[in-house]
Amino acid sequence: MLTTVTAAAISYLLLGNGHGADDSLSTARTEPRPSETTDLPSVVSPKFAVSIRKPQGPPRVITGLKNADGTEVTIACVTCHTTRPPNHNNRTVKDLDEFHGGTVFSHGSVSCLSCHNERDYDTLRLADGSRVEFPDVMKLCAQCHGPQMKAYEHGAHGGMNGYWDLTRGPRTKNNCIDCHNPHAPQFPKMRPTFKPKDRFLEQPRTKH
Amino acid sequence: MIADDNSSPERQADTDKDWFLPVVDQPSTRRTALKTAGAALGLAAFGKAISPLWSIPENVSVDEFLQQHYKELSDNDKQKVFQRLEAEAKDAYGAEVTISDPKPIPGVRFGYAINLSKCNGNGACMEACNRENNHHRGVDQSYIRVLEMSKGSMDMEHGTTTYDHTVPQDDKFYMPVQCQQCENPPCVSACPIEATWQEDDGIVVVDYNWCIGCRYCEAACPYHARRFNWEQPEIPTDEVNPDQGYLSNRIRPQGVMEKCHFCLHRTREGRAPACLEACSTGARVFGDLNAPDSDINWVLKNKRVFVLKEELGTQPNFFYFFDS
Amino acid sequence: MSSIIAQNHTGTEPADSVRSYPRFLWWGLGEATNGGLGFYVWMFVLTAISLVGANAWANQVAEGMIVTNMTDHVSWGLYIANFTFCVGLAAGGVMMVIPAYLYDDEEMHKIVIVGEAVAVAAIVMSTLSVVVDLGRPDRFWHLIPVIGRLNWPVSMLTWDVIVLNGYLLINLHIVGYLLYMRYLGRKPNPRWYVPFVFLSIIWAISIHTVTAFLYCGLGGRSFWNTALLGPRFLASAFVSGPAFIILVMRILRITTGYSAPPGPARTLIQIIRVAMTINLVMLASEMFTLFYTGGAHGASARYLFFGSHGHYGLVPWIWTAIAFNLVGTILFFMPSALDRSTVRIAACVLCIVGIWIEKGMGLIIPGFIPSTLHEIVEYTPSLVEWKVTAGIWAFGFLLLTVLLKLIATVFSSEQSAATIIAPAD
Repeated sequence: MLTTVTAAAISYLLLGNGHGADDSLSTARTEPRPSETTDLPSVVSPKFAVSIRKPQGPPRVITGLKNADGTEVTIACVTCHTTRPPNHNNRTVKDLDEFHGGTVFSHGSVSCLSCHNERDYDTLRLADGSRVEFPDVMKLCAQCHGPQMKAYEHGAHGGMNGYWDLTRGPRTKNNCIDCHNPHAPQFPKMRPTFKPKDRFLEQPRTKH
Repeated sequence: MIADDNSSPERQADTDKDWFLPVVDQPSTRRTALKTAGAALGLAAFGKAISPLWSIPENVSVDEFLQQHYKELSDNDKQKVFQRLEAEAKDAYGAEVTISDPKPIPGVRFGYAINLSKCNGNGACMEACNRENNHHRGVDQSYIRVLEMSKGSMDMEHGTTTYDHTVPQDDKFYMPVQCQQCENPPCVSACPIEATWQEDDGIVVVDYNWCIGCRYCEAACPYHARRFNWEQPEIPTDEVNPDQGYLSNRIRPQGVMEKCHFCLHRTREGRAPACLEACSTGARVFGDLNAPDSDINWVLKNKRVFVLKEELGTQPNFFYFFDS
Repeated sequence: MSSIIAQNHTGTEPADSVRSYPRFLWWGLGEATNGGLGFYVWMFVLTAISLVGANAWANQVAEGMIVTNMTDHVSWGLYIANFTFCVGLAAGGVMMVIPAYLYDDEEMHKIVIVGEAVAVAAIVMSTLSVVVDLGRPDRFWHLIPVIGRLNWPVSMLTWDVIVLNGYLLINLHIVGYLLYMRYLGRKPNPRWYVPFVFLSIIWAISIHTVTAFLYCGLGGRSFWNTALLGPRFLASAFVSGPAFIILVMRILRITTGYSAPPGPARTLIQIIRVAMTINLVMLASEMFTLFYTGGAHGASARYLFFGSHGHYGLVPWIWTAIAFNLVGTILFFMPSALDRSTVRIAACVLCIVGIWIEKGMGLIIPGFIPSTLHEIVEYTPSLVEWKVTAGIWAFGFLLLTVLLKLIATVFSSEQSAATIIAPAD
């Protein structure tokens, strides 16, 4: 079928894309380059960094009050949570009767204290109880989402900006929470903003 | 009868004289005069009919007309051509642009992969392509088309590009298609004048100043990857991307073919393609197929990858995969 | 070309044939512009239509091909459809040379030169059809061998450029040489045209085969990607060419009195009967594989014959073509088709129109619908495209009229031509 898509064996793909060149290149990458490629940075030269966007620190809670200059009054989590004992019976948003009621929560069967550190609400906790700072939140995500993390490490998840070639420039990568709301991590639905405006191309007239 | 219009020298003289003194009772010479008048009238009408062609010398300079194929230009020639094109961009679009000509990075072979489990069809890649590559704004041209396909089917006949609703729909997946940069590109074989060819890094490029616009390559491409400039592209001055490559995103002339070039003016300097940076779902993976530890090779080794229309033997350097 | 023919003779013929050549051209020019009122009206109308076409094309060049209704989805339209038909016509014009020379059918010779003239006009029309399809006709020189950069032998289009121009030269030589010899009142020397006639027979088959390969070599277009396309092109050319020549002979007989004995026309009818049957059988087997196998391969055929997803643009075209072809074929098989009857004329017209649609709107356009990504964008030629195409046909007829006029004059007044030339010798 010309129009259907057929799966290819991975081995074929590798063979089809210069299997022979792989070896020679891997040598070229560990040894000084031959003279005709002097315009390239040598492989032994330091690679540029891959930086991952990070939150500055623990989030601040919006109180709804305004400062004299009109800015929002925000407070740290610990402002309240040092005086209130943790309630292990609160498992979902519905159980919260005083604060955080508006939070949309849809993240499997985890409860608040699976991730929030009851001993220090300005940090997070791993499954083994150890403490994680907010800027290192990805460590927390990765403990459940191993395959995603692995793909992320290899550039197959999360996207990037900057240089594909680190010998020429740096790269920036998104943090998990840039795209996924930790409380409702499903990637949001969106409206396409850009459509082809081809002449004579209409919506299909019949349902497929 | 047959010799009526045979021009013996005497006859010729007669004919000339008739221009001034038509003699009615000399049918053969009168006929010649009438014919001459008819021919003159015809030529004048022809000149009038094709008068719109006089716009060609206005738009096409002698240098442009005589410009040689890209591969035959010396570095010196190229500098002159680039300067001319920069001046033309200034003239026609009011934009200060720089035209560069980055060469393939030795030893690099580009590959691109898209994760169809991630792509949600929001079209940001198309928009980025449009902006980056100085596409015609009037038709929102782009090198990418995103197909909305039914889950459980790879039949493009059940796909559509004109969907206009919130994405992703639960029963759909989204498949962007752009130039697959084939190892065995049918478009390159089709071109009668070598105006399109494959470079050492696998990118198939077009010399927009050599293409004659026969569109045979467009018929030959199985992926709808090629575009024709049906009219001169319109781009507002402040939207012109000034960072331009001769073989990539410089403003194309009317009447020539163009296609995705993996943003070679960016990627040959190590940067990511514009569509990858724009992708908000992180579905796109780009890199060097010849570097064993590149991201693209990790995908090829660890994901179940497929190519479009494999049975055609085009051997794309563009791959698709799903998360399992 | 003309001067080359003349120079060819310097070795074997008296030198005066070279000196007479400009005189011959001048005579030809005079003769081509002489005629009665009907002739002048005919030529005036053709010139007017050609000019309208030239003007439409000039506007298309200036404003861009946006004035056509072609798109990135249907990137070839009426021009290339017409090109394909004209190549078939050109090839078909020479088909009759085959019985004339291979079977030594003496009576055919009088029609053969008409066939060659049709071939010349048709090749000019097909070349023009390609030129008007170019986005950048100002860069035409890129296609010229040596100074351009021809992608030969890989690109089928370069083959087409070469074989079409070669075919034009061969036929110009044959027509020009035979005319010139008749004009001089000499018997044509077979050494100077028979080898070219045989060459043109082979070449006629090659031009249409190469044109078919242009399409059927594209793996991405499943509708074209069939080995049967070349043979189908040939079979339909064997119909449209002879049918066109029968029409031309009829018109020539009425207007100039130039006529051939009935035998050759009967041979032509026999050729058409066989070729049209083969053409229809091949069309039917093509349809069988497309529809019985089904799937995506048949998507274009489904759209063409029955419409798909609510789009029916080509359905009337193809059924018209099929009806015309079937009725035309039936008429050709009627005994009265062998006489000089209106049945024969009707059959010829029906088959020519039927094949024009079948090869153009019925073959080139559906190759693009649905597109390679299975989008359906329909195509109807724009007014500019119709104008340009009409202009090309009018120019082709203009050229054909001039050639036929010379042929008719030379062949019916050989004697007088010889005597007039005699004093100059």
